[in-house]
Amino acid sequence: MSIRLNPNLLPDLLLSIQQSSQNQNIATQELASGKAVNQLSDNPAAASALVRNHDQTTQDDQFLQNITTLQTRFQTADSTLGNVVDILTRAISLGTEGANGTMTASDQAAIASEVQGLQTQLVGLANTSLQGTYLFAGTAVNTQPFTLNQATGAVTYNGNNGVVSSQLYTGDSIQTNVPGSQLFQNGAGDAFAALQNLASSLTSNTNIGAALTQVQNALSQVSVQRVFYGNALNQVSAGENFLNQDKLDLSSQENTLAGADLAAVASNLSQAETANQATIAATGRILSQPNLLDFITSAN
Amino acid sequence: MGSLNASLNIALQSMLAEQGAIETTTNNIANVNTPGYSRERADFAETPPLHIGDITLGTGVTLSDVQSLRDSILDLRVNQETQQQGQLNAFISGGQQIQTLFNETSGTGLQAPLTAFFTSLSQLSANPSDLNTRQGVITAAQNLASAFNQTSTNLTNLQRNVDQSVSQSVSQINTLTSQIAAVNIQVQSASTGGQNPGPFIDQRQQLINQLSNLVDVSEIDAGNGSLTLTTSTGAPLVVGGQSFQLTTQTDSTTGMQDIYSQGSNITSKISSGQLAGQLQIRDQEIPSIQNSLDTLASSLATSVNSQNAKGIDLNGQAGGNLFNPPPAGVTGAAATLSLATTDPTKIAASAGPAPGNAGDNTNANALLALQNQTIINGQTPLTYYSGLVFKIGNDLSNAQTSQQSGGLVLQQVQNLQGGVSGVDINEESANLIRYQNAYQASAQVSSIINTLLQDTINMVQ
Repeated sequence: MSIRLNPNLLPDLLLSIQQSSQNQNIATQELASGKAVNQLSDNPAAASALVRNHDQTTQDDQFLQNITTLQTRFQTADSTLGNVVDILTRAISLGTEGANGTMTASDQAAIASEVQGLQTQLVGLANTSLQGTYLFAGTAVNTQPFTLNQATGAVTYNGNNGVVSSQLYTGDSIQTNVPGSQLFQNGAGDAFAALQNLASSLTSNTNIGAALTQVQNALSQVSVQRVFYGNALNQVSAGENFLNQDKLDLSSQENTLAGADLAAVASNLSQAETANQATIAATGRILSQPNLLDFITSAN
Repeated sequence: MGSLNASLNIALQSMLAEQGAIETTTNNIANVNTPGYSRERADFAETPPLHIGDITLGTGVTLSDVQSLRDSILDLRVNQETQQQGQLNAFISGGQQIQTLFNETSGTGLQAPLTAFFTSLSQLSANPSDLNTRQGVITAAQNLASAFNQTSTNLTNLQRNVDQSVSQSVSQINTLTSQIAAVNIQVQSASTGGQNPGPFIDQRQQLINQLSNLVDVSEIDAGNGSLTLTTSTGAPLVVGGQSFQLTTQTDSTTGMQDIYSQGSNITSKISSGQLAGQLQIRDQEIPSIQNSLDTLASSLATSVNSQNAKGIDLNGQAGGNLFNPPPAGVTGAAATLSLATTDPTKIAASAGPAPGNAGDNTNANALLALQNQTIINGQTPLTYYSGLVFKIGNDLSNAQTSQQSGGLVLQQVQNLQGGVSGVDINEESANLIRYQNAYQASAQVSSIINTLLQDTINMVQ
């Protein structure tokens, strides 16, 4: 004799209807959101990795934003130094002109005054500011770095020698400034004093050659320092590439962690639908199946 | 020698017995959908034979017993699985509510404000003298503090709700144990009175099953059909006709309801059923998450404060606290996290020397670097938080897996139970035909005997 089966099949049938409906819901939810992890409990490890992934992505976005700020700063500094080079070059050609000895005294005075004007322009360039902060003041960014004494023609540096470094991304920092003192007034050549000397040499028509050498020294010094900004721009754009690549990696990681395999989900959904319909049909048939009692009554 | 009268008696007795069997069958069919009903079986027995000389004559049939068919071991298994399900369901319900507070997959957790705080410092590092950027740090810190406050408060509210459910569960338990005690007496008196206690046992079993959903129940057979019910650690629930009520009392340290049985606190001894699941959420899961949040908030605030103190602010002053110092002993740090200043110049981005170093970002870099330092119990803030997220998801996911597999086991045991006790209409119909045939045959027999008696009487005339 076989084991007596549970005559009440309904709980089993209802459970499998419930399960296939639940599978339908899960698949629909995944299709709607495009995500396989919609709640922490769907995949705790993936959810936890997503927390770090989202953090890293947001950080990368911020680093990229910082890089844009740095690029603007470096470009402004670089083009300012380009103008400084132009000014010093112009001063050298003026000085050479004044040194050839064929000038009248008044021509000489005119040249001297133009050189004086160049010095004022140079001070202006050295005081370049970007978004309210001075570019060449070291870390004293709220202090105008260079002041020109109109009476003596002497230029004083009010900034400091502080250098600033910023993270391009986690683990990579870059120096982001060169103090004005180092650019314009270092041991190898003081650009302001050189122009001042050139102007007074031209006025007095003495030692013009020596004054020219000073300007040339200052010019080569500025050119050397300018390379810093060129390099920095290169480094920053390398950082930008790295971050963009990192963001791509992170987004593909996010997709791997949490993205739904839409083809698989669609097939799951249709499987769940089929299972659900089949169970409902089976339930309907079993519930309406005739039992022995039907035959007894019909026999009478 | 037999007699016609004896035969008539046998036929009549047989009709009565079949009638009883038909009644039993009818009752089974009537109760086919009654929850907890166990099918009954009519047992026939020969009546004692009559010895006349060397001849032994049968004296017919009697309905000896009507038995309820049940397997008490299966009943116990169903109750055990029901306790597990009750516990897991309550835990899952609480866990799902907790999880919505940390739903990182839809971006509603603490990761966003935590990351935003550090990116605001990253921005500060790129532009340390800019007041708007500094204001951005203050705003981000404020948002972070509110996120901690909000999450912690929501957890506390959830804990209070669960605490109310605990009280409700206790009062449901008390109602059920009173009902079980009353039925227990009926089972006992039916058993000792020689009646079929089956219907009362059905009712009691049904009530014990409901009780099992709420709390861990141990059954001890007290003899005479009576059951003694205790919790698994021995706190009495029902003894004979008496039920022992559980009571609740506010715990002076936690403010939550403790559960008492006969004057002793059994809160930590409830091991299964809905009540255990609720206590697990209230006393373990939520406090553990709160503690993690407090640790995170406290260590973060302390580290930021001490790093800020190492720098020089925009006014050339040494840096002060950005966050109000968290309470000693960590507890409550997340709920009370708040800013010590809303003045953007007070962020010490520079390392000095003061003054005139507005463009220096040395200390801003150091503040930013905290995000990659192991300042929270040996982990970085984000790693620590992602660990918490994992724990919350994993606890729930484990419970869901156990609940599903346990549900299948329960279903199987219930099927086995149904195999023993369930009413099968086909079987009952077949029985009905058997009894009907026997009844009709006996009726026919009595009519034949009646004719024979008539013949005998006619013979005399």
